[in-house]
Amino acid sequence: MNEITNDEAKCSVALEALKSVDDPEIGLNVVDLGLIYQIDFDEDQKKIYCSHSLTTQFCPMGGSISSGIVNALENAFPDYHVEVKVTFDPPWNLEMISDEGREFLNS
Amino acid sequence: MFPGVSNNGLAKNTSYKAVLPFYVYAGLSFLVATIFLLFSSSAFLQHYFHPRTLAITHLMALGWGTMIILGASHQLVPVLIEGKLYSNFLAYLSFAFSALGIPLLVYSFCEFDFGWIAQWSAIAINLSVLFYLINIGISMAKSKVENVHAVFVFTATLWLFITTLVGLCLIYNFTYNILSQDSLSYLPLHAHLGIIGWFLLLVIGVGSRLIPLFLISKYNNTKLLWWIYYLINIALISFLVIFLYIKIDWLYLLPVACLAVSLVLFASYCYQAYKQRIRKKVDEQVRLSLLSVLMMALPLIFLLIIILFSIFSKSNYHLVITYGFAIFFGWITAIIFGMTFKTLPFIVWNKIYHHKAGLGKTPNPKELFSSKIFYWMSISYLCGFILFITGVLVSNEMTIQMAAILLLLTAVLYNGNVWKTIMHKPATHE
Repeated sequence: MNEITNDEAKCSVALEALKSVDDPEIGLNVVDLGLIYQIDFDEDQKKIYCSHSLTTQFCPMGGSISSGIVNALENAFPDYHVEVKVTFDPPWNLEMISDEGREFLNS
Repeated sequence: MFPGVSNNGLAKNTSYKAVLPFYVYAGLSFLVATIFLLFSSSAFLQHYFHPRTLAITHLMALGWGTMIILGASHQLVPVLIEGKLYSNFLAYLSFAFSALGIPLLVYSFCEFDFGWIAQWSAIAINLSVLFYLINIGISMAKSKVENVHAVFVFTATLWLFITTLVGLCLIYNFTYNILSQDSLSYLPLHAHLGIIGWFLLLVIGVGSRLIPLFLISKYNNTKLLWWIYYLINIALISFLVIFLYIKIDWLYLLPVACLAVSLVLFASYCYQAYKQRIRKKVDEQVRLSLLSVLMMALPLIFLLIIILFSIFSKSNYHLVITYGFAIFFGWITAIIFGMTFKTLPFIVWNKIYHHKAGLGKTPNPKELFSSKIFYWMSISYLCGFILFITGVLVSNEMTIQMAAILLLLTAVLYNGNVWKTIMHKPATHE
């Protein structure tokens, strides 16, 4: 099995890239909304695995959010192939919104 | 690769092709209803069993209210039941049969002819509702999740089917006398099955999920929703028993009391959701939807007065007409206005920008419709609504006509904004 590393430097670049992807209904990016659960880099296969959630199962905007995540990561890491997984384990909840996200929603 | 995950765990949503026709059809029905309103103002000063009044009522209840709810719910039911819609094909069939049946039924009411056109149109509408019921029923059965919102929707759909079945019987009763009394006697039964069983249950079932979702609210109170569910169903069943078997006017106060309590509980649910919201700025569409919750109180007050009048053996047709108007042009229309522009732009945005997300700037879904048109539509609507009710209550045809002009303007602005949203094209640089 290939080694999957959580490269902190790359992860922070990935998270920065993902801040360009908004949940269209809420208008807040997926990182501050707390939808991104995990990002792993597979250096051997040049792959990025990203698991993320949605604010609700069968969210009508789910497809757009997943596409946005793939597009943003492929843009930031052109040499890598991106695979995303939607997970509801654990289910997303309001406590997952970051302080910056709450500030944005309060404004 | 992520092991054991098909489709990357992403659920397939209802096709926009199954949803958009309902929105367009509903908007056009509302427009036609307001044109009828303008050219039938004298009908609202007469008995409610008037061809034009019946035509407008059915256009509003079926063409406007029911069509848009059917369309939106094909998209929203998967969110409520956390499972996919069983069949897009059944959704198309449901649309086709209603789209054919409703104008023919409205034509029959205008002509006051309950022959084969009315009979076949009623059969078509019943089939449409049956397809919807099957679609929702199988979708729910296949979903592993059972929640209070889904139970509201399914029960509402069952009541809708009973309502349209009763409607079909009333149409046949005009020609074949299949019921013990004339069709006019059963109108209150038919109307309340639809208004309370279908519209009220559905709006509360869906609204109780969407309002906290749109407000990003922490509030959730399933127990309260179950209380509301039981109260509304007790109100409806007790009304049926009193209407069909007991026939004592003052007893109608019992279902009205149940309804009043359920509405107060729902209003408090919405208020708590509003108070505990994380998103502080509430947009116009959600504000109008919240206003519609308060507008539920108006028909209830009229209903109470109508019952008090009937207890003292007095009838007041103006009150009955105002009651119906407050339901279809008031509460139901206000919630549709709010929810149309809370759902339609997202459906269209998803269709156009699905693969463009994360690749640069895309417009916000809210930018797909004009908020300025929405604002003027809301003003024109509220003025028209208040003026119309005043006109009927003081029996002034001129006031009714002025109100009808404002409501026609509202319908034009609404349809213009719906078209603007649906016809949205991405700018070349996007």
